[in-house]
This record gives sequence, C-alpha cells and structure tokens, in this order.
Amino acid sequence: MNSGFRSMHPGVALLYYAGLLLFALLVFHPLFLATEMAGLLALLLLQGQGRLLLRGLPFILLMAASVALLNPLFSHRGAHILFYFLDQPITLEAVLYGLMMMIMLLTILIWFISYNYTVTTDKFMYLFAAAAPRTALLTLMAIRFVPLFQRRLRQITLIQRLRGVDTGTGSLKKRMRDGMTLLKVLLTWSLEEALQTGDSMTARGYGSTKRSTYSIFKADLQDKLVMLLLTVSGMVTLLFWLQGYGKLEIYPRMNNMDFGWQDAVMYGSFCLFVLIPAGLEGKEKWLWRSSKHSTYPSDILKKTGTRSMSYRSQ
Amino acid sequence: MLCGPSGSGKTTLLRHLKRELTPVGTFSGTLTYRGQLVSSLPAAVAAGEIGMVFQNPEAQIVMDTVWHELAFSMENLGIPPAVMRTRLAEICGLFGLEPLLYKSVHELSGGQKQLLNLASVLLLQPKVLLLDEPTSQLDPVAAREFIMALQRLNEEMSVTVIISEHRLEEVLPLADRVLMLEEGKLLADAAPRLFARYAGSGELTSGQYYLPAASRLYLSLSPEADSAAPENIPLTMREGRRWLHSLTEGAEKAAAAAGSIADREDQADQANRANRANRANRADHAPSPKPALAPNAHARIDSVTAASAYSPEVPSTLSNRPDSAEFPAAAAPLLTCREVTFRYEKEGREVLRKLSLTLKQGELLAVMGGNGAGKSTLLHVLNGLLKPQRGKTELAKGRTTGLLAQNPLLYFSYDTVAEELQHMGSYAGLSPEGAEREIEALLEVFRLREVLQSHPHDLSGGQQQQTALAMMMLMKPDILLLDEPTKGLDPAAKDRLAVLLQQLRGQGATILIVTHDVEFAARHASRCALLFDGGITAEGTPAEFFSSNYFYTTAVNRMVRDWLPQALTMEDVISLWPASAYRS
Repeated sequence: MNSGFRSMHPGVALLYYAGLLLFALLVFHPLFLATEMAGLLALLLLQGQGRLLLRGLPFILLMAASVALLNPLFSHRGAHILFYFLDQPITLEAVLYGLMMMIMLLTILIWFISYNYTVTTDKFMYLFAAAAPRTALLTLMAIRFVPLFQRRLRQITLIQRLRGVDTGTGSLKKRMRDGMTLLKVLLTWSLEEALQTGDSMTARGYGSTKRSTYSIFKADLQDKLVMLLLTVSGMVTLLFWLQGYGKLEIYPRMNNMDFGWQDAVMYGSFCLFVLIPAGLEGKEKWLWRSSKHSTYPSDILKKTGTRSMSYRSQ
Repeated sequence: MLCGPSGSGKTTLLRHLKRELTPVGTFSGTLTYRGQLVSSLPAAVAAGEIGMVFQNPEAQIVMDTVWHELAFSMENLGIPPAVMRTRLAEICGLFGLEPLLYKSVHELSGGQKQLLNLASVLLLQPKVLLLDEPTSQLDPVAAREFIMALQRLNEEMSVTVIISEHRLEEVLPLADRVLMLEEGKLLADAAPRLFARYAGSGELTSGQYYLPAASRLYLSLSPEADSAAPENIPLTMREGRRWLHSLTEGAEKAAAAAGSIADREDQADQANRANRANRANRADHAPSPKPALAPNAHARIDSVTAASAYSPEVPSTLSNRPDSAEFPAAAAPLLTCREVTFRYEKEGREVLRKLSLTLKQGELLAVMGGNGAGKSTLLHVLNGLLKPQRGKTELAKGRTTGLLAQNPLLYFSYDTVAEELQHMGSYAGLSPEGAEREIEALLEVFRLREVLQSHPHDLSGGQQQQTALAMMMLMKPDILLLDEPTKGLDPAAKDRLAVLLQQLRGQGATILIVTHDVEFAARHASRCALLFDGGITAEGTPAEFFSSNYFYTTAVNRMVRDWLPQALTMEDVISLWPASAYRS
C-alpha cells in the first residue's frame, strides 16, 4: 500500500499539496488549471485509486457543472453578448469565466481526494505535532475516543434493551429519555475508565519533564531532493506570477491570449512542480513491472549449482 | 506474590509503592526505595524505575496506534529520539510486537493489549515492576503467555516483580516470596513451600485457597501433611505427579510385604513410609541422578496396572456430584437451537456455524471455548438480542431468559443500587409492594443489603455482578444465561457465586454459563460443552467430558489421571484415593 509518493516524508506531501492549493487559487489560467488537474488525476490513477475517484465523481461533476451553468445566468459583465436568455444578456466572458470556475472547482475537489488518500491522519498529526505538540497530543487522544465510544454505545444499547431502555420503541418522549439514559451510561462508564487512563498516564511519567517526540518518519536523500525540486520549481512559478504572468483577463473584456517565453518558462516550472509525484509513482510502477518480467539479475544461483556438481564429481 | 481476598488491601499496598498513584488518606510509617524515601525520589526515577501495570487492559491505553502507545511513556520522560528507537526495537524483539506496530489499538485482543501495556512500562527500564491482578481480565491462554513474559523478565533481566494475582497455579511456583494480606494486615510472608506448609498446618487455613492444586492435594491426602517438611510439598504438576508415583509405589511394596491392609491408619502409616522413601530418593538424587530414575520408571508401570485394576468401578464411587443423577437426560428441553448460523456483517466470518444445542430443565450447562470462539455471540443469539441468519432458536412456551453480560457496568444507569432495583422492578411489571417484597428476598440471597445506597460503580467487581444478576432476577427468568461470571473474581467470591447458582437452581432455574474457567465448570456444572469453529464439538457430563480431554481439563485431573481418570476435583480425589490405595 505504501509506495511511491505515499511512502515519502509527510513534509514533502505537505509542501506539494500546499503549493497545489495555492496555485489553484492564484493562477487563473485554463492551461495551468488543466495541467494541475491532469497531474492530480494521473497521480490518483497511478496509485490505483480510480475507484475512489469514481465514487466521488457524481458529486464533483454536479458541483462543477452547476457553477459553469449558473455563472452566466447571474453575471452579465463583459463586452461580447452571445444571446439573450429571458431578457438577460448572456456574455461570452461570463460563460468563459464560468468554465474557468468549473475547472478550478474540479481541481480543488480532486485535490481533496488525493490529499485525503496521501496525507493520512497520522502524517497530519506528525506535522501538527511539530508545530503544537501539546495540542496535537490532546487531539490524538480525543480522536481515539470517537470509535471507542461508538463501540461502547453499541454494547450499551444492546444490553440496556434488556431492561426496557430502547430508542427504537415507544413514544417520542420515552425514546428521547431512553436516548439520554444510554448516553448517561456511556458517560459514567467512560469517565470511570478515564480515571484509570489518567492513572496509567501519571504512572508512566506524564508531565514529569518536557516531552520529546518519537517519529516514525525519516527524511532520506530522495525526500530531500524532491523537497528541493518542489521548492525551486514552486518559487520560480510564484515569482513569474508576481510579475503578472499566467493570468488570463476575462472581465471586463477578454484579452487575446498571448503566450510569450516568460509564460513558457513559468509553465515549464509549474509542470515540473505538478508532475513530480506522478513521475515518482510512475517510476515505482515501472520498477515493479520490469522486475517482474526480467530474470534474476545475478547468476549466483547458477554458480553454486555448477560448483556443487563439480564438487560431487571430484 | 501478593494474595488475599478482594478488599484485603492488595491494590492499596501496590499503589503506595508507586508514588504517583498514592491514594489520598492518612499515611504513617516510612517507604523507602534503595534507601531513599519514596516521597523524595526525583520525578524521573519514581516514574521510570518503578513501573506499574493495572487490571483493565483497555483503560490503560492512551494512544490509538501501537507504536505511539509504546513511545508515549518514553516521550513523557523526554528521552531523545535515537534512544527511543533503539529501545523500541529491543522491546519489539522481546515481545514479538513488530507485526502489530502500525495497528490500531482496538484491533488487538485483550492479551495483546496487556502485553502492550507491559511493554510500554518496560521501555522505561524499570527496576521494580508492580502488577495489580494483570491477568484477571484475560483468558487462560493469554494469561499464561503474560505470566511467561513476566518470568522471562524476572529471570533474564532480574527485574523485581511484585504481583497481586488470583491465578495461582502458574504464579505461585515462580514466586520467591508469598505475602498474604487480609483486612489490611500481613498474615504471611514466606517462601511458597513454607507458605503452603503454613496453610496446611492450620495456622493459616484461609491460605489454602491460594495454593496450587498439587499442594492442596498433598496437604489433604498426605497423612504427614501437618508435619511435612516444606521442601517436600509439591507446587507444580510435575512435582505433584512425582509425589503420587512415590505414594502408590510405596503402597504397593508395603502391600506385598504385609499381605493386606485393613484400615486407614495402616494406610496412613504406609504413605508415611512412602514419603520417607521419597525423601530418600531425593537424597539420592543430589549426588547421582541414575539410581533415582529407576524407581520412577518402575512406578509408572505400577500405576498403569493400578489404574486398569480399579477404573471400572470409578463411576459408581463418583457419587459426590449429585447433579448427574438428579436430572436425568429425559428432562424436557427448555431452549433448543437448531443449526444456527450467525455472522455480524454480510461479508464477515461465520461466528456460529450450524450450531445445535439443547438446554434441558434444571441443568447447569457450561459452554467452554477459546477466545473469539463465539461464546458471547451464542448467548446473545439464545437471548434473542441477535437474530441468526439461518436456523432457529426455540424457547419452550411461556419461558423467559435473562442475560448477564460480561461487563456488569452496562446494566447500571441510576445513582444507587436501590434505585436500579426499583426501576427494574417497575419495568418487570411488579406492583410497588410486590417489587418491595421481591427486592427484599433478592437482597438476602445476593447479600447486597449493606451496599444498597452505594453507587453501582463504587462496588467491587463481584458485587457489581451480583447487582446486575439481581436486576435480571426481578424479571423472573426461567433460564439464566451468564457470560464469564467468574472473570476477575477471587476464589472466595467464586465459591459464593457457585453457592448462589446452586441455590437458584434449587428454586427451579436453568442456567447456562459460558466460561474459560475449567475448574469452575468441572466442579459445578451438570453438563459441559465445547464450542469450536462455530459449532458444539463435544459435550457430556463433566466426568465424561474432561476425562476424555488431555489438555483441556482441570489441574487435579491432569495430575491424577493415571490413577483416577475420572476424578476432576479435590473432593473426588479425597473420596476415591483411600479406596484405591486399599485396592492396590
């Protein structure tokens, strides 16, 4: 499960996703947005998460399409009027703007899917703990309680049914009262256990000195290299954006798209930024595929075979 | 090892030794650790060098993944990451935790959780380890594993272990010292054999509860128990069997010499001789093991012939267990389930698979089985809380069932025991006066009168269980379904529970218990069944059931099976042994 981009240091993933989100919001240009979306899609597909994508697709498309349709209906800015709809002018600019919004929304929604898949809770908490260790610890302990309470509540519901406490039967008032009883049982029980948990924490020296943090993640050379590449390409893109490149002006009047060398350089470094993870993932895929087909590279096995035979013949 | 009934102050004593957990109250006297007052120890030493593991495996866990839980204690003491990594690697190697490292804590079994708790404490490299009934919530297999881990720590790392425990069969032979507490007073402080000696000589009769089967058998069978030298008292199964071998062998020789033995005195005399011979054997043993081996081999042959000689008569002498005779197999079936199949989720494993079981009027059926065999699920299905996907459970007309779940806390929702009972009474549809009368009667039976105004959570485990059981009894169920009723109870509380169950049976209740407790089932059940792979694989009266098992049987049976294959309990052996000695 953990291979390629997903197995990299959480810092790399954080940098990548932060950069992508920033660019999705800043760089208002169809080419850039489409590239970003393609990069994310390629990453997800290479990670074998097509199913995950497919499941979210109806919602994503609905959201995106409604933005594309609604924008021209409500915004009438722009110089090129295409036609009139219910006495309202529909302008070319508004339609294009709506389409741009659609792409942007699509990108961000796919970003979320990819982010959720790659940056799991423990990675997030690791990053979070670096910034705020105490809060992170509390959050982690609290997170554990959610499934724990669910399991306990299920048990309580089952057993309390034996004494007539059941939220499934009776009048609304009784059901509400029973629900409260169940929660009360859960709360008393959990507080009781929490006291023991507290004992166990103090017994193990909680709060006796300044805490250190153990980390299961280690940054290796590749992590550092990718981090550097991402930073450089991201910075270059950002610098060009600050110079005013990579912006498409639609309102109040659409300009001609002229694509100079500056835009080309910016696009190049942006492509590098977006496609690094997909590239890593692709490399991983290729590695396994090729190693499956190729024969064992070393001939040690053969050698021992002949040697033992020759030994025997002696 | 610390022993004593619950409420004798074991936990309080242990908590005093762990400074962070010292109970609130007035304290006098001094407590020192390596010559330094415990209260003046530096925080890191107090937390790190004295480690403690508690009873409830679940409640001690703080984090949600195994690696984080393990790291938690080290993080607290500010240990640098590189050191943490090494220590973690070591401990994972020692306990085989590596495959679990990235698992979520709730996926672990109870035994694994408790090992995790132990490992987490050990990461601080304690010199003293305090354990407060650490295996009371575990099944026998997990408990044994846990105790073996402790033994390794003690022997290989020479960690001082102070453990309070009810599971004596395994722990007592390992202990260097046994302390017995009662009502806050230290009754005994001795090496295990000496402790057994005290318990046997009448100076400390309540100590008998806390001896392993071998010692108890020795003390009640051996005629010289009162004067036996402590080093002769067997503690383990192996020592017990060796002693029995020497006993039968000696008896045989004497019988051959004297021709016939008529009364018990003679036999006692003989056993004396046997024991002397035994001691002589042991004396031989020390310089050269060779001559000592021969009589042992000889004894084994003797014992086989002895066993074959009298085994046909055994069933008739096993009359001290009335149940098998009192309730003939022809009694009306009360609850039957026919080819029941159950799983929790559509894609899940079949927990119960084509399981058929019949419960008859007046029985006490004990269903046994390993962890996760589906014992609790079976009870829920029998009670109607869960509907099986296939098959049928049938309850005789007009009969009801009452379920006592493993965790009695699930039943309580009011502030006092009295309120709990009153509300249950009104749910059961009793009139206030009727409920009053019923509750009065139940308080008497369950001995709950003194805790009537307490909060249910403040009671001891045994009392909580009895309160929940009393609540169920208000519904007047014909069939009681009890889930692990002996879990976490001390020996005295177990005996009280047994008396209670027999009393309820006497009033016409039919009882089904699921349990890990082989000794309890052997002693008190009228029928036993084994749940394995989703179905009932073996069933029969305790004598039939256990004597055909090799591993899954009582400690006493394992010890005496060469001579008395059907004897399961101390009482069986005591009543049968003189007769067999006489015969041989």
